[in-house]
Amino acid sequence: MRFCRVRSVAEAVDELSRWGTEGRILAGGTDVMPQHLRGEQSPAALIDISGIDGLQGISEVGGATSVGALVTLRRLATASLVQLRHPALAQAAAVVGAWQTQTVATVGGNVCTAAPWADTLPALLVADAQLTLVSKSGRRRMSLGEFLAGPGATALRPTELLRAIELEPLGERSAEGYIKVGRRSAMDLAVVGVALRLSVTPSSVVSDVRIAVCGGTRPPHRVPSAEAALVGTQLVDGRLDCTEAGAELASAAAPERAKAAEYRRRVLPGLLSRLAERCVAGISGVGS
Amino acid sequence: MPGAAGEQSVSIRLIVNERRHQLDVGAGETLLSMLRERLSLLGPKEACCEGECGACTVLMDGAPVASCILAAGSTNGRTVLTVEGLAGTGELTALQQAFVSHAAVQCGYCTPGVLMVLTALLEDTPDPSEADVRRALAGTICRCTGYQQIVEAALDAAQLMIRAATS
Ligand code: FES
Ligand code: FES
Repeated sequence: MRFCRVRSVAEAVDELSRWGTEGRILAGGTDVMPQHLRGEQSPAALIDISGIDGLQGISEVGGATSVGALVTLRRLATASLVQLRHPALAQAAAVVGAWQTQTVATVGGNVCTAAPWADTLPALLVADAQLTLVSKSGRRRMSLGEFLAGPGATALRPTELLRAIELEPLGERSAEGYIKVGRRSAMDLAVVGVALRLSVTPSSVVSDVRIAVCGGTRPPHRVPSAEAALVGTQLVDGRLDCTEAGAELASAAAPERAKAAEYRRRVLPGLLSRLAERCVAGISGVGS
Repeated sequence: MPGAAGEQSVSIRLIVNERRHQLDVGAGETLLSMLRERLSLLGPKEACCEGECGACTVLMDGAPVASCILAAGSTNGRTVLTVEGLAGTGELTALQQAFVSHAAVQCGYCTPGVLMVLTALLEDTPDPSEADVRRALAGTICRCTGYQQIVEAALDAAQLMIRAATS
């Protein structure tokens, strides 16, 4: 195995086109290294992109937030720009593994590994994440939803590098959050996780809803039927009735017959209600 | 020496415990085996080798990392601190001293990792709450103490450090 240290995106895509499926990108390495050490993966080359400065930034571009692929989970959890504009993402990043993992694990790694239990992905989905993928032959943009084609199998081509993720920040009279359930309160993978973004009109009618889930067997995804069940709902006494949306969410997000799916069906409605309550309380002038 | 057969090596320069090193490490070699086997720093412990237990925790550029799953090759240009580097001047740090007085060490296997993550916490959050301390410890497993003495030692060390800084 070779270790190829690259310093720029141009060098990275050169190496990627040279190694193709034989090359493996190394960022934080929290997935790649354990797989290598267990003998599950034996690429001919590790392409270490961790030193590329151009992939480290968080910035405002136009109305959007641009997050470089190498931004670490710790930074997502603690950066004030993220906490303010993308609270669900900050909350999700803060519950991935331990501090030791968050120090090095990157948002780009989460996206490209596309694990079904990846906490950050529902939060990225409710921000309508758009990915910029680059290769030697050019660049393309794709929504995260499209990119997540199957578990561990994404639309990423072997010669492509994820460069940045563009996010739509929270608008006026909007709030969002992320909740997960794992087997212990820290360190564990999500058995099920939900992200919700909610917008409300001045007359307290729900105008926009985005719900995304992780856990289970599919890659994280939005749940349009549950979203539709909430749009147009009137808040009564500062409360949002999530009964119908919760039932939709449970049946659409955990349709399998397995016991694990049955568990997820049971907890999903409660998670959605708790999140909705938190969101409504966070939209000023509505919860009171 | 670490580094499996068929692995090419890569040259790195880094600072470990305030000393500069230039080393050739294997492509798949971990920071932990580099520290233990090339630099004879046996403080960081090898336990799960999966990034789950925290026994191997060291600080990289001031932040805790599980050295057992970190590629040595990617530490080029970085600054690493192991438990050996804490008492660099020969005197125990306030945190280490508090571990001694609170009997926060039993078998000691987790201690080097726990000390490193708590050192980072006290740097980051000089006056942590008990919840802050417990959250910071989520990735370092201790099978002996039940954590209580460790938490008390950390809170005590924080107060000592605050007093020392303001006096
Ligand atoms: S030995 Fe590194 S986390 Fe357990
Ligand atoms: S003192 Fe024995 S594991 Fe912590």
